[in-house]
Amino acid sequence: MKLLRRASLRYHARHPAQLALSVLGVALGVAVVVAIDLAIQSSREAFKISAETVAGRATHTVVGGVGGLDDGLIRRLRLEVGVRAAAPVVEGVASSPTLPGMALRILGVDPFSEGPFRPFVVGGAAGLDVSSFITTSGGVVLSAPTAEEAGTALGDTLPLLVDGRMWRLPVVGLLEPSERLDRVGLRDLLLMDVSSAQEVLGRQGRLSRIDLRIPEDLQGGVLEESVRAALPAGARLEPAGTRTAALGGMIAAFDLNLTALSLLALVFGMFLIYNAMTFSVVQRRELLGSLRALGVTRREVVQGILAEAFAIGIMGAFGGVLLGVVLGRGLVRMVTRTINDLYFVVSVEGLSVPVDVLAKGAVLGLGATMLASLAPALEAASAPPRVAQIRSAVEDSARRAVPRAALAGGVLCSVGALLLAVPARSVGLSFAGLLPVMLGMALLTPLGTVGLVGLARPVLARGAGILGTMASRGVVTAMSRTAPAVAALVVAVSVTVGLGVMIQSFRSTLSRWLGGTLQADVYVSLPSVQASRAEGTLDPAVLASLTGHPEVDGWSTYRGVELDLPEGRFRLVALALDPRGEASFDFQSGGGSDAFLSFREEGAVLVSEPFAYRRGLEVGDSVTLPVARGGGRFPVAGIFYDYGSDQGVVMMSRRTFDHAFDDEGVTSLGLFLKAGSDPEAVVRELTARAPPGQTLVVRTNAALREGSLEVFDRTFQVTAVLRFLAFVVAFVGVLSALMALQLERARELGVLRANGLTPGQVWKLVTTQTGLMGVVAGILAAPMGLVLAAVMIYVVNKRSFGWTLRMEVGPSVILEALILATVGATLAGLYPAWRMSRTSPAQALRGE
Amino acid sequence: MVLDGVNAKVETGERVAILGPSGSGKSTLLNLICGIDVPDAGSVRVAGTELTTLTERDRTLFRRHEVGFVFQFFNLLPTLSVLENLLLPVELKGEVGAQEEARARALLTEVGLADRADAFPDRLSGGEQQRVAVARALVHEPALVLADEPTGNLDEETGARVVDLLDGLVRSDGRTLVVVTHSRDLAARMDRVLRMNHGRLEEWGG
Repeated sequence: MKLLRRASLRYHARHPAQLALSVLGVALGVAVVVAIDLAIQSSREAFKISAETVAGRATHTVVGGVGGLDDGLIRRLRLEVGVRAAAPVVEGVASSPTLPGMALRILGVDPFSEGPFRPFVVGGAAGLDVSSFITTSGGVVLSAPTAEEAGTALGDTLPLLVDGRMWRLPVVGLLEPSERLDRVGLRDLLLMDVSSAQEVLGRQGRLSRIDLRIPEDLQGGVLEESVRAALPAGARLEPAGTRTAALGGMIAAFDLNLTALSLLALVFGMFLIYNAMTFSVVQRRELLGSLRALGVTRREVVQGILAEAFAIGIMGAFGGVLLGVVLGRGLVRMVTRTINDLYFVVSVEGLSVPVDVLAKGAVLGLGATMLASLAPALEAASAPPRVAQIRSAVEDSARRAVPRAALAGGVLCSVGALLLAVPARSVGLSFAGLLPVMLGMALLTPLGTVGLVGLARPVLARGAGILGTMASRGVVTAMSRTAPAVAALVVAVSVTVGLGVMIQSFRSTLSRWLGGTLQADVYVSLPSVQASRAEGTLDPAVLASLTGHPEVDGWSTYRGVELDLPEGRFRLVALALDPRGEASFDFQSGGGSDAFLSFREEGAVLVSEPFAYRRGLEVGDSVTLPVARGGGRFPVAGIFYDYGSDQGVVMMSRRTFDHAFDDEGVTSLGLFLKAGSDPEAVVRELTARAPPGQTLVVRTNAALREGSLEVFDRTFQVTAVLRFLAFVVAFVGVLSALMALQLERARELGVLRANGLTPGQVWKLVTTQTGLMGVVAGILAAPMGLVLAAVMIYVVNKRSFGWTLRMEVGPSVILEALILATVGATLAGLYPAWRMSRTSPAQALRGE
Repeated sequence: MVLDGVNAKVETGERVAILGPSGSGKSTLLNLICGIDVPDAGSVRVAGTELTTLTERDRTLFRRHEVGFVFQFFNLLPTLSVLENLLLPVELKGEVGAQEEARARALLTEVGLADRADAFPDRLSGGEQQRVAVARALVHEPALVLADEPTGNLDEETGARVVDLLDGLVRSDGRTLVVVTHSRDLAARMDRVLRMNHGRLEEWGG
């Protein structure tokens, strides 16, 4: 069918703007999906490579609980158990003013034990000088490219900030990475001798882990059992990679939410394609009728339309992939920063661009295009082979479809609601329920449009006379073309509103929670590379000096440690609470004075909502922890609201903690001041009490709250960007639909111009109509946005992160929806209005 | 019910006009003859093929091979040139080659548009467009040519010229022609005239 193909090619060539917008719609949708995918993959890959680099060739790892392992353990394992290949490891996080924005991972190793584990430490390409490594106190080895980035050479010193203390460490070796993987894995690594690392990290006598190589044979099995038997309480043996996998799993919900958001842009792209293809079919309906009369079969018509969609999809997918790579470069920084803030340290050198991600994006874009074109293609095939096709018949059938669409919409919404109501914890299921709800709402919009336009008609007639009547009537009489445009706008605006309400509700819930939780007047901690997971401890002398300030009336101390258990990572916090601090807990269940009594005196713990949600815990259940002493089972006395970590927090009293663990450290301090004290002045004085070389973070209650909200805002930056991009795609869709709609009316407007309508009146007619469509879309989008927000808050968020958020809706939401939709639609109507008003009546009447 | 008890037989090579007021069912009758519509009851037999027993796809293929159409509003494909419009039915039959293109060009010469082969329809006048449509209806050598108000959109002189062409070409090839029209002049040139009235068909001695 060469001629049919040629005819369709020329049709699109004659409508270049429409074609360009369609391609752009697919391209933007694909770009967002590819960009997010690349950003996530890059962070994951960087994490995996750096974890593998550090893990080396170990088959097993011995890890400890709180405070790690005693460094005498390795000797016991070698001498008493007979493990030959065992390497001690001390890990920590630092930063350097010469490498701004990069979190550096300190890896303390014993070079003589490293042979079987990390070949780059001994005999790497650079040939590390082991003698200077162990004889130079505090000597560090780093990768040559990183040293160059820091402006440091062999023999220089590297300034290093660890827990607020500045060290100047001599660079005793440079590693020359041989391959890309090495380069990525070594990028943020600082190698030190075990004892130097212990000193710098303040962990004298302690190890983070011991790497082992145990053969996989029968003897290996026996050895494994012997190792287990020799481990002290709180330590455990696990296969290498367990921790990496658990850490990777932490960001699964985060990834899924971002991916779902990115797919939203693609769904909007589908709307756009649907609009464009539907329009091209409606516009060619008479032609298709003639072709059918000439003997073109339905299948050939469907094939023809799908071939057009395929071509658009290919062009869009190709452009989208290119655009996605560009966009990904920007997004990877935001995604990495959020992962660093919330989950674990990862340093991404650049965007890795795996071909499979690009291919996946392209296939997804192409598939979405074909799927969106299926309905218009079938619609085209249904074009009856009539000798003369009447346009009004098309519109009649479109109007008749309104109740059917509403019914289908209602059914889809119900299906979505049922899926959402399934008491499962699957985040995927939540999104699977959200999609039919959104589609259902889109299908309900034509009915809403007819109703609202009916209400607006008398108002417009009074305000703008016959032009007002024509504008309002035109929306309903051209339903086949106006309905998809309004639906696309409604969905776009409702998603924007929904996401906005969700973020706002989250923020205000967080703000209220911070207000309740932060009861002390001044907070002191050590600076940390990671926003929410400080682990450095305050020196006891500093602690005494701070609490001894004359304005201090009382204090609470906190000791926070990250615990990696096979079932996931969480934060264990030991609390020595000032009685005033007890009011800081807001309990979801349990709590009360009895609970605090058992918390203080009887070894009970309080767990955060996400912790309880993830593990299905209730008050009265117990939590098992890898303790150094005692049984390790702690009854849960209360479940409290907490928005600091989606992985969960377990709080125990300092007394319980001291009984169970060998760790006397204090991570941070909350100070209650005497009545009438000036917190700002106290902050200044306390800051000055820091010993030389040590930086303290001393903040007032208000400053800490502000800082926490800053981290929140940073976390949601990616969401905001995606929200914006999704809206851009939708806007392009609406622009394309409205443009097509108005340009198609050229003939009708030509008749009006011939009958004396001035160019100004044409402007008024077109913009009134598009403005009306915008207002209608805004009114319909507000309630739909609230439904979406409720689903995201009560279902998606809860299932993804375990948080209960309080939905907060201000009157501005409705206004925002109205303004967004009206401005969007009016803007989209400007170009057609301008073009129509400039077209001469004669030209318009001649038509194509 | 648009048509009721319609009974008519048209012989091969016969040229028949159907007259009748608007809304009398003329176009519906044409749709039945070419298999676009099927009757609720009764039979439609064209060139030995019983259309009512065919599937929708087979009726479409029947149309493709056996029927040529001339529409009131020309219905040329705006994105194909004049020659390409002519070649479309031939290509649909799967027969495009040098010989077919030569035939199309010859037909264009016969309708007086040889020099407009590469022009697009929007560059042609109404009369020229209808002449292209006439050529298109005949180019794939169908057994039956159907014309729905072929002069309805043309001035008298142009209409007469189109009718001359249609009539001449159909007659020379011995094809069957059924033309629906309001024009008594056009009807008078046919072998037989039928009249539709309130869904019924009757011979008209005119």
